[in-house]
Amino acid sequence: MRLLYIETYKLFRQSRTYYAILALFFIEAIVLLSAYYQGTGIIDIVLANLKDTFYFQGKLLNGNLIIYFILNSFWFHVPLLCMIIVSGMLTTEYQEKTLQTVFMQPVVKWKYLLAKYIVASLFTIFLVLLLALTSFILSYGIFGKGDLVVYTNGLTFFEHDDAFYRLVYAFLFGTLSLVFFSVVSLTLAVLLKESFKTWIAAALFLIVSTLLLKIDLGNEVWNQIAFFKLNNTWQYFFNHDIEWNTIIINSVLMGLYILVTMLVGLFLFQKKDIG
Amino acid sequence: MIYCERVHKKYGKVRALHNVSISCGKGEILGLVGANGAGKTTLFKILLGLVTADSGEVEIAGDGAKKIGGIIEKPALYPYLNAHENLRLFAKMQGANSSKQAVEASLEQVGLPLNRTDPVRDFSMGMKQRLGIAVALLNNPSCLLLDEPFSGLDPLGIEALKQLILDLTQQTQMTILISSHIIDVLSTVCTNLSIIHNGEIVQTGATSTILAACTTSYSLCGSDIKKASFLSDYDTVSNGDCMTISASATEISDIIFKLSQQQIAITSCRPVLDLQQLFNPKEK
Amino acid sequence: MKLHGILLLFLFAANGFSQTAEEQVLFVKSRLDSIETFQADIKLHVDISFIKMPDKEALAVFKKGEDLVIKSEDFVLIPKRGLDLSFSELFEYPFMVVDRGEVEGQSTSLLAISILPSDNKADFSVANLHIDTQKQRITWAEINTKKDGAYTLRLTYPDSQAILPTKLDVSFEMDRIRIPLNFAGSDVSIDRKKIREADQKTGKIRLALEYRSIEKTQ
Repeated sequence: MRLLYIETYKLFRQSRTYYAILALFFIEAIVLLSAYYQGTGIIDIVLANLKDTFYFQGKLLNGNLIIYFILNSFWFHVPLLCMIIVSGMLTTEYQEKTLQTVFMQPVVKWKYLLAKYIVASLFTIFLVLLLALTSFILSYGIFGKGDLVVYTNGLTFFEHDDAFYRLVYAFLFGTLSLVFFSVVSLTLAVLLKESFKTWIAAALFLIVSTLLLKIDLGNEVWNQIAFFKLNNTWQYFFNHDIEWNTIIINSVLMGLYILVTMLVGLFLFQKKDIG
Repeated sequence: MIYCERVHKKYGKVRALHNVSISCGKGEILGLVGANGAGKTTLFKILLGLVTADSGEVEIAGDGAKKIGGIIEKPALYPYLNAHENLRLFAKMQGANSSKQAVEASLEQVGLPLNRTDPVRDFSMGMKQRLGIAVALLNNPSCLLLDEPFSGLDPLGIEALKQLILDLTQQTQMTILISSHIIDVLSTVCTNLSIIHNGEIVQTGATSTILAACTTSYSLCGSDIKKASFLSDYDTVSNGDCMTISASATEISDIIFKLSQQQIAITSCRPVLDLQQLFNPKEK
Repeated sequence: MKLHGILLLFLFAANGFSQTAEEQVLFVKSRLDSIETFQADIKLHVDISFIKMPDKEALAVFKKGEDLVIKSEDFVLIPKRGLDLSFSELFEYPFMVVDRGEVEGQSTSLLAISILPSDNKADFSVANLHIDTQKQRITWAEINTKKDGAYTLRLTYPDSQAILPTKLDVSFEMDRIRIPLNFAGSDVSIDRKKIREADQKTGKIRLALEYRSIEKTQ
């Protein structure tokens, strides 16, 4: 607990944490603005074929759709910023050699790093919650409520109440992916120690994971369990019928990946000399 | 007590330490003298548990949760936190008393002001050293390792740090191991010296004994020193108001006596070490 | 003499009771024209293969001479065609009626007729209707519009007297949906074969009507 408090204290005493949070809000604002100006056009294109046959009554450019846009845009810039902040929790300690000072005190190595992993995960969850909260408040406040339309092999409409819960679940389950990336970045920091090298490696990992998401591995099992295939579990909430079994299996698998990555990092850190 | 025997450490093909043994008892101040790259920092890291030796025995005796504290190279502190916050953080992480009173007592012990609230990045080198020592002293260790504590300090800072070290030994009987390449300073603080060269301990013993064995000349300074005609009997080198005289410890006493008889004032008498002799005693 | 008289009376009565197709249509039209206003709660169910939408509730307000107005707080897809329960669009311009004979209905026989507009201004080319001659109402209609393709209506009534249906199925043709991939979800597996096969789709909207009020001409 002491170490958890200390890591949290250090994280929130550094200005770069706040720069990252501001950057995320700035990006969110841009997404909101672009949705505001382009949202109607996007809906028009999506519903173009239906206009021949139907009149539309009601507003589709509403808070739910904006939150859905924000959610879609989430999966690169948020993990990237998280990875930069989280990896910095360790790389700056290497750089400033405070790690040496820490381990000249009676502190257990693996416990120290475990505290960092836990705080990194909690910080990621905190960021997602913050972004989700502001998304919901701003989107509903500015754009109001209404049905959500998504395109997943056809048009699916969700009523507001249903859409709200699906969006909340999507944020919640999507958080696991973000925690995984944060944990990976900390493990990379254990391996590489230097800030720039770790940032590059982390960004590369994120980019490759995003690219591999679309690739068919040619094997049903690998398509199901490979970690990069689990990053879009949140999308299952926007199928008409929610496949809870698949979501839970994917979440458990992602939890296992997080655990394994942590264990690898702890093992290497315990073995390595400091300095 | 700090004790290590036959410690070896290699980094790839580079031999950092070879068969190193040192011992420093309670209340002693041992100086580890060596040039840059001799292996001092590597040895200290091994003694502090930061690095694992390839072979050999290391023993740090002491009571309490923290047996040994130290500073490696420059004191590494959290630059965005102030002195109070750094101390409180390091105290908290090891379960030591992190109350305001305890932190202030630590600051007072090393002579740091209690009212400075600016972050450590704004501190001078001397203040950082003191704070580093305060962190090293958290949780009352029995032993203290200071790696190059005088580098980067001005003369006043060096004097203040020397006094602090002496006070610690006197007040707490702490075992202190100091490394430096500035032998002049070490010689005034340490009771014993170990000389390390190319990763090996080449000689160990009382400071006075080692220095005496390596001193083959003295530098005498005085405005009228050139008027001492008898100095021509010795091997001398002039440099302004100073003269380096090749003489033994006994001979220099005679020289100073003769100078005083001739009423020639001496402002300083400094032994000049034969570094070759210091680092390679077998080649005498 | 007496027998001849009875036979003549019978023939006259028989002629008086069997109407022509045109007369049937006009009678049904007069029944439909008697509706001045109505308000109904409607439930819309979308039955289109590439659209998944929950059933929607709306309020339909009809005033004779005006388009049917659908009001809803939710987002609803309102078919452009098929909500003209008075079939006023068919009868707006002069028309010809062609008798296609009888067809078998569910529990009754129906008269199949075609309505052909005489005026080019009409926006349909031909309308095929099934009329329940006993209950004097339309049960099925297939209307071929000039611009918007063809659509069919299937009307279900609550009882033998009702003029307005309580269930209405509107079926229509739809082009395959084309979504720019940019706007698709993050991970959409595009089944190109499926998309190509779905070139011309038939969609259906099912409306269930519960009338709050119906005002007829006195």
